[in-house]
This record gives sequence, C-alpha cells and structure tokens, in this order.
Amino acid sequence: MHSLRLRLSNPVRFSFKFCKNCTRQLSQQAQGPLETENDWTDFQQTRTSLKTLMDAMSQYGSTQTSQWSLRDSLHRPTKDATLSALLASGAHFGHASSRMNPNFLPYAYGTRAGITLIDLDHTLPLLRRAAKVVRAVAANDGQIVFIGTRADIRPVVQKAAQRLGTQGFHVGDRWLPGTLTNKWQMFGHETVRSKRIVPDLVILLNPIQNMNAIQECALSNVPTIAIVDSNVDPRIVMYPIPANDESPRTAEIIAGVLSIAGREGIAIREAETQRMRMAVDSAWEDFNKMQVMQDTRQPQRSDAEAFDY
Amino acid sequence: MNVLRSQAFSVLRRPLCRRLATTRPFVPPAQLVFHDTLFAAGAKELDDNTVDALEAETNEREFEDDDFDANNSQDKAHPDSLNFYTGRSSYYDNIVELQNAISRTRGTLQRLHLLPLPEFAWKSLKPMPTVWKTPEEMTTDFETAMTISRYRKVTALLNELNEYLRIATTAGYADVAERIGSIISIFESGKKEAFLARGVRKPVQLDQYGRSYTFGKRKTSAARVWMIPVKPPSRQLGSDVNVEEAFGLSDKPRRPPVNVTVSTILINNLPIAEYFPQPVDRERIVRPLKIAGVLGKYNVFTIVRGGGTTGQSGAVAHGIAKGIFAHEPETGAILKRAKLLRRDPRMVERKKTGLAKARKRYTWVKR
Repeated sequence: MHSLRLRLSNPVRFSFKFCKNCTRQLSQQAQGPLETENDWTDFQQTRTSLKTLMDAMSQYGSTQTSQWSLRDSLHRPTKDATLSALLASGAHFGHASSRMNPNFLPYAYGTRAGITLIDLDHTLPLLRRAAKVVRAVAANDGQIVFIGTRADIRPVVQKAAQRLGTQGFHVGDRWLPGTLTNKWQMFGHETVRSKRIVPDLVILLNPIQNMNAIQECALSNVPTIAIVDSNVDPRIVMYPIPANDESPRTAEIIAGVLSIAGREGIAIREAETQRMRMAVDSAWEDFNKMQVMQDTRQPQRSDAEAFDY
Repeated sequence: MNVLRSQAFSVLRRPLCRRLATTRPFVPPAQLVFHDTLFAAGAKELDDNTVDALEAETNEREFEDDDFDANNSQDKAHPDSLNFYTGRSSYYDNIVELQNAISRTRGTLQRLHLLPLPEFAWKSLKPMPTVWKTPEEMTTDFETAMTISRYRKVTALLNELNEYLRIATTAGYADVAERIGSIISIFESGKKEAFLARGVRKPVQLDQYGRSYTFGKRKTSAARVWMIPVKPPSRQLGSDVNVEEAFGLSDKPRRPPVNVTVSTILINNLPIAEYFPQPVDRERIVRPLKIAGVLGKYNVFTIVRGGGTTGQSGAVAHGIAKGIFAHEPETGAILKRAKLLRRDPRMVERKKTGLAKARKRYTWVKR
C-alpha cells in the first residue's frame, strides 16, 4: 500500500499509514479481552501512539490562545470579580418577587419574570469591602471560617479554606448548634484552654440554611460576611454581599475573591514579620558591634584612682 | 582600700537589674487574679503545695463566662484541623485524605493511559474482592459514631480506590498498587480471609491408590463414600474371537472394540440391590453417574448411617456426585446444573403448638 508522506516545512513527518495502523489496532483490540501483562502493555502503547499523533497533528489546527477550563472557577479563581463574570454566573437572579424581603429593596434592580433581579452595581463594591475585611483579619492572624452546607458548594469552601493555610477553616456539612455557645461541652476543657475556638470572621455562602451559625456568631461577637439573596434580610450579617445564593458559579467567584484577599493578608503579615525580623537582627548586630568596641577599649582610670593618697 | 573602692564603683557602674525584651509588661494590681487558697495558706511565696492546690482549684472550676480573657487570647494556637468547626474533624480529615488519594491515583492512571478504561478491559481485570471493617470497627478509626450514611460514603470512596488498585495490579504497576494498598489496608477487615473463604469448598484430594473420599448428607442421614476407577480388563471383549472371519464376512469394516467396564456399588458392605430394594432409591443413587456419563467407570463403597431409605439414598447420591467432581472436575458444570452437588436443605419441619402437625390444622369447629 502506497503511503502518503506529507512534505512540510518542519522536520516532523507523518504517514497516514501510521494512522491506519493505530485505528486498526484499536478496532482489533476492542474485541479481545486482555489476558496477559503484555496485552495491557500493547493496549497502553496503542493509546500512547494515538495521543502522540493527535498532539502532533493539533499543531496544524487552529491556535488556541485561551487556556480556559470548565473547572477554572473552582481551582483558579480570579482576584477581582468583574460585572460580566458575575452576570455570566447568574449572580443577579434573585428569588420570587412575592418572597422579597422589604429590607432587601436597596439592593434590588427590579422584577422580571416574577423574580427579583439583584443590582450588581451594589454587589461589586460590597464584595470589595468584604474582601478588605478578610484581608485585614487575615493580616492580623485571624481565624476565618467558610460555611457552605450544600453538596455543590462543599468543594468551594474547602478550597477557600485551604488557601488560608493554618488560619482557614470550613464547614461543608451541617453546622452543629452550640459550636460557639456550647464550646466547653463540644470540644472539651483541654482543647478550649489550649486552642483558639471563637473565630475572628465567619463567611457564609448559604445563610438561610445556617441561621444557627449566624445567631451564634452574633452572640459571640464574631463579624460575619454572607451572600444574601432577595428573600433574606441583609441586616442579619455585618457585611452582606447581595447575590444569588443558589448558583455554585457565583459562590465560586465570591469565595475565590475573598479567599485570595485572605491569602494576600497572610502574605502581607509574613512580609511585615520578615521586615521586622531583619530590622531587629540588624539592630542586634549594631549593638553587638558596640559592645565589642567597648570591651576592646582601654579601661578608663577613675578620678579616684588618679590620686595616690 | 583602693581595691575595695574600685570594686564598689564597678558595681555601681553595672545596671542593678537587666532590662530585657522578654520582661513581662506591667499589670495593674486591680487586674491581678487573687485566689482564696493563697491567703488561706498564708504563704508569702508560691511553693509547690500552693501551686498544686491552685491548679486543682482552677481545673475544677467551670469557666462559663464568655468574656473570660483566656478564652480567645492571641497567645493560643490555631486549631490543627481544617475541619475543626464541623465538630468531627477526624472523620472529615480522613474523608479528605481518601478523596485526595483517589484524585492523585486517577491522575496517575490517566497519564499511564489506563483510564478511562473501555468495557472489554474492565471485564479483563482480576477480581479483587475485599471486606471492609464494620461500622463499629470504623468508629474507633474515625472517632465518631458511624451512621449508615457516613459508612456508605466511606465505603463508596474505598470501593473506588479498590477499582484503581485492580487496574494497577492487572496492568503490572506494582509501586502504584503498593501505595493504594497501603491506604486500603487501614480500612480492611481483619477477618477478610475468613469472610472470603466462606462457602469455598476445599478440593478433594485423591489418595495413593487413586480413591476419593467424600461425604454426603440428606435429611438426617450421613454417608461416607469412597470411589475408585474401575481397572479396564486386560483382555478386551471380543478381541480374541473373530466372528466375521468365521462367517466369511471379513471384508466388511470392523467396528472398534468397545471397552466396557462394570462398576460395583456397595452400601454398608451390601450390594445396592440388596440394601435398597426400592427402584426409586437405586435410581436416585445412580443418577449422578448417568448425568456425568461415567456409569461403569467407578467402583463405589459407602458407609451410611441415620435416617430412612430416602435420606440414606439421597446422602449416598450427594457423596457420589462430590466424588465424581473430585475425579473429573470438568463434570462440575453439568452436576451443578442438575443440582446434584448441592446438599438438599429440606429437613423435617417441626410440629407447632396449636396444630396437629407441622401444617395440619385441627378441624375447624363453628361453635
């Protein structure tokens, strides 16, 4: 069989016979079961060769400039939320207008199709304000807890807490009532004495399902940030962020912005500590040098010794 | 005198107390915590006894006041676990570890082109049955009561890891398999071997003379069965007599001589016809030999005890079927399909109170 050879400018050359062999092997393999280890190795080889072929051929296709992946909003969130990103995630969809909380009116844009639309022009500055709070708390070695008790936002709070290192915590399943108000019984005397129990900031991604947590934070004087939807009174938390609480993409964007702000705060603290340490070290060095100089100087004769009585 | 003076002056030159950065800050007396124990003891300084008494008193007292300063001092450490505020940090930590292990293994297998696996490859994987720990055993591992939903969540993750282990072992990647195995072994039941060995029959060994020794049971009868292949006669039937030649028909093609053997069945040292006069019982005993197609191939010696005719003949048949399987494993499929290898579980049903027999009711009386 005559094999076609592509004459190309770059040194890599292909033959379509190679493609045919791959597909033939694949189709043959589709029938037979894999018995020995050699069968498995052949199976892997075929797949590897096909992948190599696809990778090599893909350079002759269109050039993909954007490397966007569907899971990027969870694993690689952006530092700042943009209006278009929030709109794309559906952050502006509220709940039914009949269920709208009257205290939510300042953040409502209007009604369409029976639902309240949330004004994202209010959302963005409030989100930035919340981010500032998170950054400041993290920079002062504060403990931040992310609460998101639905299955679709469980990985979101986990990732957000991981970004804050030792200062980040998350609750993905039910918040047990009494975590803060009944901490002696819940965690035991030893833990309460040795560890910091009351957090310095609590961020809720679904506040309606976690009213217990909000109540406990209020009783324990813990500042709270939450995504408030149109059926929620924004005054239940200190820093409300009006947005759709049912959309996982919105939760990813908001939790991403807040956790990245927290990470920045930790970095600021680390840089500050480093700077102070270096300043102290240099001060000690100077002090030691001075001591050495004093020690090596000739001892001064006191006036009392000058006169020999 | 000069020496004394110089010493005095040098003492005055040195600072009386060292001012270091680690000195404690000044605390106003109003904020100092005084204990009754200290005054009661009348101690001017803290000695060991007073300190112990103070500690005991502090430990006993319940600090219920949330405004108590030591509750949230900045000197205290952060909690260790990311899942601290769930109240079940050990459980969630383990779940997260398992999920991480699964995603890492999935990535490795994808890079090795072993995932996603097509249907025919799934069927080719080595079976690796595992037995996980019971919920009670897992309670100690996870430090939380293992409810059914939590147990199911954990076992779902473990089953997925086990699938990856199967793929890695079958494809021959021992290091990957070892790493997965080390995680899985933590959650495997200690009684795994015993559990998997349940219902698995030990293969019957033939002794030095080629005899099989098997056991059969039915109702309350038990039979011990020895089977040995019949030695074919050295002289074949019809080999010395040439009938065709005698009649002058030697040009016809001769059929090959059939090697026919006859088996003897002895039950309690009596021939089968004597021990079981009823043909039903004899049929039952011979049925496994007929179905396997080895009717004249084996001599059978049986000792049977207990029960009556049906039970004893059924027990002998069960023993014979197992013996045939021991001599010729290829017959296993057909004997299984005929349900001859199965110990018949039907036993005499007990009599119940209020009934005449197991099922028979007394005559119904209207009044």
